[in-house]
Amino acid sequence: MVTPDLASEEDIAKLIIPDDLPNDEPSFKAYIEAKVYDKEGHLIQYHRQPMRSLTQYFLALMSIPIVGTYQGLSTNQAPGILVNVLGLPSQQYSYLTASYNSANILWGWSIRLGSGSQAFSVSLTGLAAPIANGTGTGELYYGALSVSYTSTSIIAMITVTNYSTSAISVTEIGLFANVYIQYQNSSNAYAYNTYSFLLSYDTFSTPISVPSNGLAAFQITLTFTG
Amino acid sequence: MPGDAYDTGKDVPTFRAYLIAIVRDSTGKVIKVHKQRSRSPTANFIGLLLPLTWFNYTGSSITITNINGGTCSYKPGMGSGPQDIAYPNSAYNHPTYLAMIQVGSGSQSNPSSATKLAAPIPNGSSSGQLIYGSVSIPDTVSVSGSSAYFYISQAYNNQSGATITITEVGIVLQLQLAIYNNTGSTNCGQVLVWYDVLSSSISIPNGGTLVIYYTFTVNP
Repeated sequence: MVTPDLASEEDIAKLIIPDDLPNDEPSFKAYIEAKVYDKEGHLIQYHRQPMRSLTQYFLALMSIPIVGTYQGLSTNQAPGILVNVLGLPSQQYSYLTASYNSANILWGWSIRLGSGSQAFSVSLTGLAAPIANGTGTGELYYGALSVSYTSTSIIAMITVTNYSTSAISVTEIGLFANVYIQYQNSSNAYAYNTYSFLLSYDTFSTPISVPSNGLAAFQITLTFTG
Repeated sequence: MPGDAYDTGKDVPTFRAYLIAIVRDSTGKVIKVHKQRSRSPTANFIGLLLPLTWFNYTGSSITITNINGGTCSYKPGMGSGPQDIAYPNSAYNHPTYLAMIQVGSGSQSNPSSATKLAAPIPNGSSSGQLIYGSVSIPDTVSVSGSSAYFYISQAYNNQSGATITITEVGIVLQLQLAIYNNTGSTNCGQVLVWYDVLSSSISIPNGGTLVIYYTFTVNP
């Protein structure tokens, strides 16, 4: 194919986000699933829907395995995407006077549930009405997040139990990340800073009702079809 | 299954990646624009994206394989034992950075398990080689409505004396792990994190240039 010459860099820039290419299978799929059990352990509701709403923070986090944490071999500064989107330092101060100092980065995930709803934006930072962790009225007791993966998928799941005396309705769900930067501080002691982000936000197409003394498992599956 | 069970069957992808290549002849005239959906993060990428939660939950590590076949073990964690991805600092650095968007003349059928290109084209001006320019990395995420994207790019110059045809492309990350207090570190080398076979081959004439863009977008 020979195309007409492009007039300017602006023309090229327009190619950066091409229109969706027809007759092409999606290269990424994401699902949210919820299973609700009553107090006898019977499955009473199963819900599955596509995830629709990844944030810019997801994009920035996933840039780390692509772009890295340095601008280049000889530039000891973090890429702008980490600084400008995630608010990470361009350079983490670490104790200068000892050779046994450096810095590193890692991250954990969590799933949180809510009882509200809000319009999506890529810069959304939290749920509209988070359901607190606990056993009181309107609270759910959050178990530990479990994560599994295959060569093309990452699956995160959390179980919550309703110890309150009334049913609790879950209408929104978010996948969060906690990013940790570890370093040696000016007292030559171990320290770390934590940065928290909302990676995805979705409202359920129908509310998930967790009965009193019932439990529910919420699972998010991210699949790259490869 | 209770009555509320359903599958919408209408999955809306919230993330997409695109590969765009622009070829110019020796006069600078654009002679080809290639666009395709990019599909294939490798197993290395998935492993590096995994949250701490998985490593704590399973107590396991993952094996990262570099483009030369070497391996390193990755098991991030808090404190003075684990080696995590190094971060820029004011003392001792172990740079982890985008090494290159590598191009090649081969192909392989299972991109997610790929650890190197099938037939990488070397950097140089000899026969069968391309001169690799520097990579461009994003300063930020560009936002438009509910969509957001960033892109990386690299340019190549063909001074080999003949046309060169590419059929595969991959993103290669230079990866270094370090304990926060630098009492241990591991250079994992250059790691293939993304791989695509081109839907049609791209020829770069002698004296011509190629620029490849990878665009990553959410909610397109």
